[in-house]
Amino acid sequence: MRPFAYSRPPDEKEALALGSAAEGGQYLAGGTTLVDLMRLDVMRPSRLIDVGGLTLGRVERDGDGVRIGATVKNSDLAHHPLIAERYPVLREALLSGASPQLRNMASTAGNLMQRTRCRYFRDTGSACNKREPGTGCAAIGGYTRTHAVLGGSEHCIATHPSDMCVGLLALDAVVHSRKADGTARSTPFEGFHLVPGETPHLETVLEPGELITHVTLPLSRFARHSHYVKVRDRAAYAFALASAAVALDIRDGVIADARVALGGVATKPWRSHDAERALAGKPASLETYRAAGDAAVLGAVGRGQNNFKIELARRTVVRALRELGVTT
Amino acid sequence: MATWQAVAPTHALTAHDGSRLPRAPSLREAGGPTGRFLATYAATVRAQREPRTDFDSGPVSRPADPSALKNGHPTIAAAGDAPVVVVFAGSWLMDRAGSATERSIRAELRGLGATLVAFFGGGVWSFRADDDVESRGTAPEEELARVRALFRVAAAREGTTQLAVFVLDDKGVVQFADARELQDDESAEEALLVALSAAGRAMTYRTPLPVVFSRREIVLTSLLAGFLLTFGLGCEKRPTGPPSTATPPEDIDADGQVEVALHVNGKDHKVRIDPRVSLLDALRERIGLTGTKKGCDHGQCGACTVLIDDRRVYSCLTLAMTVAAARAAVTTIEGLAAGPALHPMQQAFASVDALQCGYCTPGQIMSAVGLLKEGRAKTNDEVREEMSGNLCRCGAYPNIVAAIQRVRGEA
Repeated sequence: MRPFAYSRPPDEKEALALGSAAEGGQYLAGGTTLVDLMRLDVMRPSRLIDVGGLTLGRVERDGDGVRIGATVKNSDLAHHPLIAERYPVLREALLSGASPQLRNMASTAGNLMQRTRCRYFRDTGSACNKREPGTGCAAIGGYTRTHAVLGGSEHCIATHPSDMCVGLLALDAVVHSRKADGTARSTPFEGFHLVPGETPHLETVLEPGELITHVTLPLSRFARHSHYVKVRDRAAYAFALASAAVALDIRDGVIADARVALGGVATKPWRSHDAERALAGKPASLETYRAAGDAAVLGAVGRGQNNFKIELARRTVVRALRELGVTT
Repeated sequence: MATWQAVAPTHALTAHDGSRLPRAPSLREAGGPTGRFLATYAATVRAQREPRTDFDSGPVSRPADPSALKNGHPTIAAAGDAPVVVVFAGSWLMDRAGSATERSIRAELRGLGATLVAFFGGGVWSFRADDDVESRGTAPEEELARVRALFRVAAAREGTTQLAVFVLDDKGVVQFADARELQDDESAEEALLVALSAAGRAMTYRTPLPVVFSRREIVLTSLLAGFLLTFGLGCEKRPTGPPSTATPPEDIDADGQVEVALHVNGKDHKVRIDPRVSLLDALRERIGLTGTKKGCDHGQCGACTVLIDDRRVYSCLTLAMTVAAARAAVTTIEGLAAGPALHPMQQAFASVDALQCGYCTPGQIMSAVGLLKEGRAKTNDEVREEMSGNLCRCGAYPNIVAAIQRVRGEA
């Protein structure tokens, strides 16, 4: 691992000062992705700014919704009564992610900021536009079984690996951050992550030195009626081959409002407005869910070994809706 | 017993920027008892190193080059096909065996994957950090003089306070060189530790690292020019790093080391680390608690599981700095048992035979203890799911679940 400077600021203000001053600085929370990628020489920060000393570790009521601090651990969040009661899809997504030890380490903001990655990104011997812009993409034309079928470009098809983010996306979460100059801003979750396009090294809208302070979840009619389904190669501790976070507001057998988000198949946590449109105003029936499944994978592009993900994602959406929805 | 394999014949001694030194040091040139010592030592090391197979890139060991054996004299740099740290000291190193400094030196060597060959006064001493091959010997003054000449090092007289450190990579390339007078209150061991730590950073970078070499450029330039490198030449006294502190680190430079306190198994341990050191390495290599195992070092296998403030985590992905700064309490497998009595989970693993080779077992037990503290898993399926962060390649899973259920039932 390359040498780096280490700072543990006592408050947000000092963290931001360090974050904006240090070129190549990175905020460190749980470290579960960052330390791993540094050990692989994939990430090379010159300074780590440890946010563990900041008071961003609380889950609390926020009006009708919930406010989740940036450094709340994934396991604490999953087992928090407010989350378990009001946002089941988030709890299920969190508990399907990583392993118990990693969930005890990984934070809310860290989960949002984990790198979109594939095995070529992790291997410094391979070309990777994300790791070294302009070097090409070894995945395209390479072994693509785990790669994205949605949101890819000719420069990158790495999959966003988060489960938690897929759950947050289906809940209309908002990311709150503070820029280096101290200005606060709020970003709707759908606009937080970026598709690779021609700049796969840019994964979020955050500016250098910008610090996530918390995430809020609004109260919604569909939040309590939400569900996460994850399909993977083994029963536990594996990334999703396909996952679906769905939320339905069903009134008198008719779907008034719906959210459908996909994981494991896209270059960012993927919201399917097509699938939501296929559900809204329709009866809560298997037929409707199948139509939503078809709509969810519109525009998906297979790259060979990952062709199966298109059908798998479709079925995962249908299964999640069936398990959640009333089919009267 | 494996046979001695030499790698390439005498390498050109090349500085890290590619400039070539006039001649490479070789055992042939060293000759005599010193050379024979090194050759024997290198052969021993070599014989103990099995070819490794890397999952991605195939066998790591290179085939032997028969021509290298023509004269029967491999190069120093060929010792074990690994980096070699060559040290010239005026006084005996490691007076106190098992000291904290010695442990740290071994840790640095392990980090470099290097063999240490130290020349001092009238002797030569060598070891690899990872195994028990350790030799001490004496060599006639004329032999030592010859070796010194190869490295362009003037004679260091017995009892003087001089130290020169060279790090040759596995290709015989000098990646790091440092020579200086010890400061008044500085021991040779401490100076060696500082040099090895700097060498580690220099070796990490494949290109010259101006920051690391800034105060030694004069020395290095002298070396490149083939001048006679004498102790102290162009070496201004340099600071030995930030002053020791046992308070939580708040701002540590990249090339800084700091002494921090880690609270492990109810005791405070002061360790001197730089920001890169993981909790796992701090436990194993600085404090000497080797019960916690290093498996993958990437948070995938669970062998390194410990409790931090009673929560199970992977110590390989946890920076020791963070733990020290948070003043968190670490519990390792060594801290479970109360006196001679095993912890119930240890006893259960032994009773129901929940292991085969045992390598993953400390991590499994710490994870299981964490699972019980969380108190959520009840059914066998839940226990399996909650133990998914710990791999067991022997496949002892059924009995691991049984051991946990036994303790859970008793609780």
